[in-house]
Amino acid sequence: MNEFEKLEAELKELRPLEPSQQFTARLEKALGDAGNVAMRCLPDDEVSGATHQSAHPSPKEGNLVSFPRLLAFAGLAGTGLAAVWAIIFYLSSNLAPDSPERVDNDAPLLAQQEIVEPSVGFSNDPESPLHGLSLDQLQDVSVMPVSGWLDPQINERFLRMVDEGIFQQPSGLPARQVRHYFIDETIWSHPASDTRILSTTPREEVILIELDTY
Amino acid sequence: MNSEPIWKSWFARHGAKLLLFARQQSRRPDEAEDLLQEAFVRIWRLYGHTGEVAPGLVYRAIRRLAIDWARSIDRRQARENRVALDAPLSFSFDRTLEQDERKQALLRAVERLPAQQKEVVTLKIWGELTFDEIARTLDESLNTVASRYRYALEKLKDWVPEEMEGKSENNQSSR
Repeated sequence: MNEFEKLEAELKELRPLEPSQQFTARLEKALGDAGNVAMRCLPDDEVSGATHQSAHPSPKEGNLVSFPRLLAFAGLAGTGLAAVWAIIFYLSSNLAPDSPERVDNDAPLLAQQEIVEPSVGFSNDPESPLHGLSLDQLQDVSVMPVSGWLDPQINERFLRMVDEGIFQQPSGLPARQVRHYFIDETIWSHPASDTRILSTTPREEVILIELDTY
Repeated sequence: MNSEPIWKSWFARHGAKLLLFARQQSRRPDEAEDLLQEAFVRIWRLYGHTGEVAPGLVYRAIRRLAIDWARSIDRRQARENRVALDAPLSFSFDRTLEQDERKQALLRAVERLPAQQKEVVTLKIWGELTFDEIARTLDESLNTVASRYRYALEKLKDWVPEEMEGKSENNQSSR
């Protein structure tokens, strides 16, 4: 080890002061939602030392206030609710033993149509998620309340991040591909009937990190 | 399984080095944290979603912001702030060093370096950047940066014994 290397080693032994807790908390506040965009998994017993003591929203809360995610969840929630209604409607109209179509099997065709017509008559209720059915009709056939549902609770669970290696982009530049795995959970609650519906959707995000070439 | 924002572990790794550099670049000691906050938040908002941000980007942002902020204050205020700049470098390091005379002498010698050499030494030794990264951070050529570093080490080699002698002379005269 020459004299310069010894000097460098001595200098490296000097450790700069760590930023204070207050400063880290201030930083967290200033980052806002931008700080919660990229997450990493921690084992249950691991707590992120110094920085965890500051008052900040939990990752779940942080994710809830992220605007683009809220939009995505709202879309998912709407699609899920419509699908649930459609399935319930289909099952109740085909399998219910006391449905009018089944009871009047022996009746003449014209008479049967007269009975069925009012229940499936086309309605242009703009509030209804199903075309051709009013909200009242929907409620009758699905045996589920239409109004009185609370806002859905949306929860994103980060599962893992996988580094899939380096790829060449169409532009010729290299990029590292990282895949994030999530589970999106949506819970609809109806307090009056004590009904809860849970929908879980797996989701993946692929992120390309551009690499510098030298 | 818990999860936490990646920036926390990132900042735990690089925060102390960045703050040291911000202290060197800022006009006033109390401005360093503001400078680091502004630079870090800007860069993390741009690239934080990738989960991995090159520290060199934050060093460069700190330097450019420091230049911008210095331009924005008037000359008189700048002169006054120059006085405040004289906070010893040892304030930015672990206080237990006060017990170690050799390390104190090292820091005093680093403090005597010209500003351009001092920032290269800071980025190389404590920032752990390569010469190439330092060159891009400081907008200088690779050769310039490497030369400044070499000159700085040569000076330190000569000055550290001087500083130690000076300290021991002071001690003797004070007795």
